Amino acid sequence: MSAAAPAPAASAARGGDAERGLSFLADLSEALAGSLDLAKTLDQSLTRIAEFMQAEAASMFLLDAERDLLECKLCVGPVNLLGLRLARGQGVVGRAVAENAVQLVRDAQGDARVHLRVDAETGFVTRSILCAPLSTAKGPIGVLEVINRRDGSPFGDADARLLRALAAPAALAISNARLARDQLEQQRLKREFDLARRLQKALLPRRRRDGFPLLAVNVPAHEISGDFYDYFELPGGRIGFVVGDVSGKGLDAALLMTRAASLLRWAGKDGLAPGEWLRRVNDELCETTSDGRFVCALVGFYDRSTRSAILAGAGFPPALLLRDGAIEELPSEGPPLGILPGVAFGEHALELGTGALYAFSDGVTDVRSGDGRLGPDGVRSLLLRRAALAPERRLRAIVGELKQLKLVDDTTLLLLEEPRPHAPELVLQRRFPARAEQLRELRAALRRSLDQLGVEPDLRDRLVLAVDEACCNVIRHAYGACGCSGDMVVTLSQHEDMLEFELADEAPPVDPARVKPRDLSDCRPGGLGVNFIDALMDDWQLAPRAGGGNVLRMRKRYLPLQEEETE
Amino acid sequence: MSNEVTTQTLDGLEVVRLSGEVDLSWSQQVRRAILDALERAGAVGVELSQVSYIDSSGIAALVEGFQTARGNGRRFVLVAVSKAVLAVLQLARLDRVFVLVDDLDAARG
Repeated sequence: MSAAAPAPAASAARGGDAERGLSFLADLSEALAGSLDLAKTLDQSLTRIAEFMQAEAASMFLLDAERDLLECKLCVGPVNLLGLRLARGQGVVGRAVAENAVQLVRDAQGDARVHLRVDAETGFVTRSILCAPLSTAKGPIGVLEVINRRDGSPFGDADARLLRALAAPAALAISNARLARDQLEQQRLKREFDLARRLQKALLPRRRRDGFPLLAVNVPAHEISGDFYDYFELPGGRIGFVVGDVSGKGLDAALLMTRAASLLRWAGKDGLAPGEWLRRVNDELCETTSDGRFVCALVGFYDRSTRSAILAGAGFPPALLLRDGAIEELPSEGPPLGILPGVAFGEHALELGTGALYAFSDGVTDVRSGDGRLGPDGVRSLLLRRAALAPERRLRAIVGELKQLKLVDDTTLLLLEEPRPHAPELVLQRRFPARAEQLRELRAALRRSLDQLGVEPDLRDRLVLAVDEACCNVIRHAYGACGCSGDMVVTLSQHEDMLEFELADEAPPVDPARVKPRDLSDCRPGGLGVNFIDALMDDWQLAPRAGGGNVLRMRKRYLPLQEEETE
Repeated sequence: MSNEVTTQTLDGLEVVRLSGEVDLSWSQQVRRAILDALERAGAVGVELSQVSYIDSSGIAALVEGFQTARGNGRRFVLVAVSKAVLAVLQLARLDRVFVLVDDLDAARG
């Protein structure tokens, strides 16, 4: 430390200059806070700070948090330090960051903290240094430095306090600008992800409801998926199908997925044998994919007239063929696509008959179950347990179980199966005297049944209300009109994704034309029941029953699988 | 929750408290309790926090109370409406017809 204390009047911040210092700080803060071009404002501010502090040189270093380096971003004075990099803790500047404290060096040449390399290289003689960290709530983000007072005296404690005050608005302005930039970047990324996800969804084929033998579901684990599936009809009655899984996650994987999906569709539509189909796509992908990413896929054709299929896999998990309660594995006979050109892909021919073929991405076997993974055995037991359900409900049930196990990867399931006539499944049937006291018990039974079907509570309550209202009408109007009594039978059945509620009574026939909803804008008691039924059900019909009585059928479709799972 | 209707006078407000599942089997009882309360007092609050289900006949009893009160210049409010009741009121487009209040203090107006 230098013994020669400077004369008080020589320092800018001393004596009657305190007020000047405050007013300079206010000006500087204002300029930084209102800046539209922060880089330029900071540059001008640094020049003003150097002048105000009567310094020969000034510089600003910013911390690169990733590399933990300080880099000189702004500089005024005889020596150009722009781009100079220092480690955290290196020199006086580095120490200001490491300690997050002002550093005052009165005599640079005799101070061990000082890094004199620049002096040696430039001939500049550093005498006194003052450094203040640019502090934020999250720690220092850089350093403000002034060197050598012009009058030759060293910087003092009052200068240190002043520089520390001047560093504050600069730090705030930089930190705000970074925050704004990060937010913009986040918004941009979100827009890109949204777009990618929409594009991906648009690539998946629409679900067919016309007895088509293929059904698939894709549940992305993240915003965007690396999995895809496809199916299409070829002239001659064959159906092509594809299921694929791109390595990696995020936008890169999504882009490769769209490319792979297009290529596989394009090659598949030529009707080539599955092995040749994969070979062609593999060669194409090898030419253009070089960043280590690859695509696992399974492709095949199904011939409805012979109920036979031929398929080939490229690094895809084995397809599982369920027939007569037994499971046959059909492993991939070739490596993933996009790695090695010119390889061959072996095929499997199979007779589907009344069986079911499942192809699933490894997301399915990766699903966590307890401590371990679900694994191939877990998947097999899951499929066997659910085998009796109609295809759509089966996939819904399987996906439901997988979801409970928490998906850790994209999950895609493709099912090939000839539609069997699945009779409507009887869920609940109750016969009871048509009296209001019976309805509470009926509602409780209906709630239990709908819960078991996995109908979500809001919809469940609405359906219960509609059925209850219909029962009230039977009690009040059908039986009430004749003053007679009798039984009624309520039946809930399920057919694919349709819930059907049937109410049968033995009352005198009711004229269906007279049962109409009323105008809701007319506020009066009574007559709301039919409105509720109308609003809550997809459709309903009332008809006289053969052999006497009436039958009311109400139907409600609950959310189809695909819309539900990929939203 | 058992089906129950009780009536209570609180600082000039008749409180009709319903609980359980309001359906056709006893909605006439509910209707009677509401109309009787309107005979006795200038302000009636129907407390519905413990109602887990209501059908259109229960809604009709509330509508009748509302209309009777309006005809006689009485105050008629629904207090602490449960989620289940609110869903049905919304379905019938009645949620903006009735005066709904959060508690008995607000019911006095």
